[in-house]
Amino acid sequence: MRAWLLSLRSRLSSMFPDPVAPDVSPPPLATRLWQRAPGPLLAMPVLVLLLVGFLAPLILVVTYSFMPPHTFSLTQAPTLDNYRNVFSSTYYVSFGWSVLLAALTTVLLLLVSWPIAYGLTRSFSKPMVLTLLLVLPLFISENVRLFGWVLTLSNHGVLDGTARALFDVELPMPLYNIPIVLFGMAFIFLPFMLFPMALGISMIPESCREAAYDLGATRLQVLREVEIPLAMPGIAIGSLLTFVLALGSISEAKLLGGQSIIMIAHEIETAFTYAQNWPLGAALATLLILLTAAMVIALLARLDMERLLGRGR
Amino acid sequence: MPHAPFSRRRFLQSAAALATGVALSPASMVSAQASRAGELNLLVWEGYNSPNVLDPFRREFSARVSASTVISDPDAVNRLRAGETRVWDIINLNNPWARQHMHPEGLIVPLDQERFRGYYDEMLPEFQWPHEWSMSLDGEHLVGLPQRFGPFSFVVNTDKVSRATAEDQGFNVFMDPSMKGKYGILTWSDWNIFHMCLTAGFTPFRKHTPEEMEEFRKVAEYLFQNARLLSDDHLQMNQALITGTIDAYFTGGTYTASVARYEGFDNIRAITPNSGPIDGKGGIVWIEITSLVNNPNPTPLATSFLEYIMRPDVSYEVAMADGSYNPVAQMGTPSVMEKFSAKDLDAIQFDSLEEELSRCVPFQINPDYAEMLEIYTAARRTR
Repeated sequence: MRAWLLSLRSRLSSMFPDPVAPDVSPPPLATRLWQRAPGPLLAMPVLVLLLVGFLAPLILVVTYSFMPPHTFSLTQAPTLDNYRNVFSSTYYVSFGWSVLLAALTTVLLLLVSWPIAYGLTRSFSKPMVLTLLLVLPLFISENVRLFGWVLTLSNHGVLDGTARALFDVELPMPLYNIPIVLFGMAFIFLPFMLFPMALGISMIPESCREAAYDLGATRLQVLREVEIPLAMPGIAIGSLLTFVLALGSISEAKLLGGQSIIMIAHEIETAFTYAQNWPLGAALATLLILLTAAMVIALLARLDMERLLGRGR
Repeated sequence: MPHAPFSRRRFLQSAAALATGVALSPASMVSAQASRAGELNLLVWEGYNSPNVLDPFRREFSARVSASTVISDPDAVNRLRAGETRVWDIINLNNPWARQHMHPEGLIVPLDQERFRGYYDEMLPEFQWPHEWSMSLDGEHLVGLPQRFGPFSFVVNTDKVSRATAEDQGFNVFMDPSMKGKYGILTWSDWNIFHMCLTAGFTPFRKHTPEEMEEFRKVAEYLFQNARLLSDDHLQMNQALITGTIDAYFTGGTYTASVARYEGFDNIRAITPNSGPIDGKGGIVWIEITSLVNNPNPTPLATSFLEYIMRPDVSYEVAMADGSYNPVAQMGTPSVMEKFSAKDLDAIQFDSLEEELSRCVPFQINPDYAEMLEIYTAARRTR
């Protein structure tokens, strides 16, 4: 029976050829690629741009770090001299200050930003006004904003001058020490913590809070067990942004701190400019990149961003 | 002939083909070369990039001028060494670099002596032809033109430290225990290192013995440990001096103090020590030399710019450019001098300029700079 049906089909096909039968010859390679994987093909220009614009400079920096000190060519025999120099001298002091101040800035901003972010998303009647006040300074150069604080806090500056004129009181000058560097970093990096955190808080469903209260949770329990966990994507992203940016900061310690400490970014700048020792600068930069990457990866591994963003399990 | 519909794909294909064709056509290559006729790129110290200096040139020559500020002499020279001779047309650096490095290495080209020699007749006596720092090492070629210059040692508030005391003690003022926590350091590393050598009692401009390097380390550590503040911004340093935060700052001169003096703070004064370890002299004077970069595709505007900055009115604008006021070599001619008001001359301490220059040696290259910079940065890091 099956053989008879196949023979009938063959005869019919020869009598009435299919006018819309597809061309059986394979399509060109480009067409096949396009049909099978349009996504990667469309992403190719961006991928090339990222490789050239992002990865290539990184490779260049890492390669330079293995070149002999005080040289400007990439075609010499590689050496570990720059890394030996870094590990045998006191650069750990600058690395230590940068990591410590970046961590303290992140913690400080977590504490400061939470109530502001909460107010922006839940309480304030005109959150746009506060948002504008926080965003507008970003249009002014960081150095100008920091120098504004120098003029405000210096001897005979805005604060001290006003106190002297009105009350005949001489205020102590809080500049050129480590606490003022921390203040400057918190001031500069506030928006990078605040806005992701506000976004995280806005993701907390009101019904969850209400349910928690209905079940007898205290205000502190709601904060700890409902709001913070649900706002964690914003908190994590804000913390990462703040920490990474603060690790590379330089102007706060220079302008407000009077170089009472030397940040690692300042050492890198000195190596590339005054010292004209590009390989040493590249070695310091490579170590900073590795340090940042290690810390960020360690944090991300603990946080499980997929779950936080609600995509997983 | 069938008329194919004009799809987005066809448009993109045509546009890409057209753009590639135009970019690669010989005509575009020629026009790219020809377009340099109206272009000028400057690699210069702060001041030469002032709109007061550049805007009139742009208007007069219908020129597209871009200027980049030099952050240190060796950095600028290394940029040329790295191939940026293709980018820049004019370079302006401190005196030793043109004759000792850039000319021997072919990074700059000699100037036409017939065209520029006359300008030296209008300069101050110290710059008369043949001016040492304008000429090549063999004295045959003119490698650049001098303009701004100035003594550079340190700056005091004369209400706190008298001029006489500062000049007599020189850099030892900063080693006095009573000055602990009362001075700042303007962290211009190359100058700091010169001045730390002078403080340690030897010239920076030769090879140093291990004992001298050790002495240098001690001085660097002492100065950093006892400084009230460090800054690489001379305006911030002046502000600290004016507000009484510090009484003096290590490394500074007319270049840094003049802006404060111009604003009426006559008590801010650049000091040149009366004596020192370099053949009895304790001060250093810098002279900027402006040269023509050996650009493989030169623009005729480069030579025009050199002539332009020699004009009396432009010389004045260069001297009084934003951020720093300085004497210029062209003050040897009345047409330039008459442009300076009494206030201008007071700002640049012109009354004592000749006397201070007599106590200075010219800026030169420190052969131990790299090693000393490592000691210097370590002392700064661990202060």
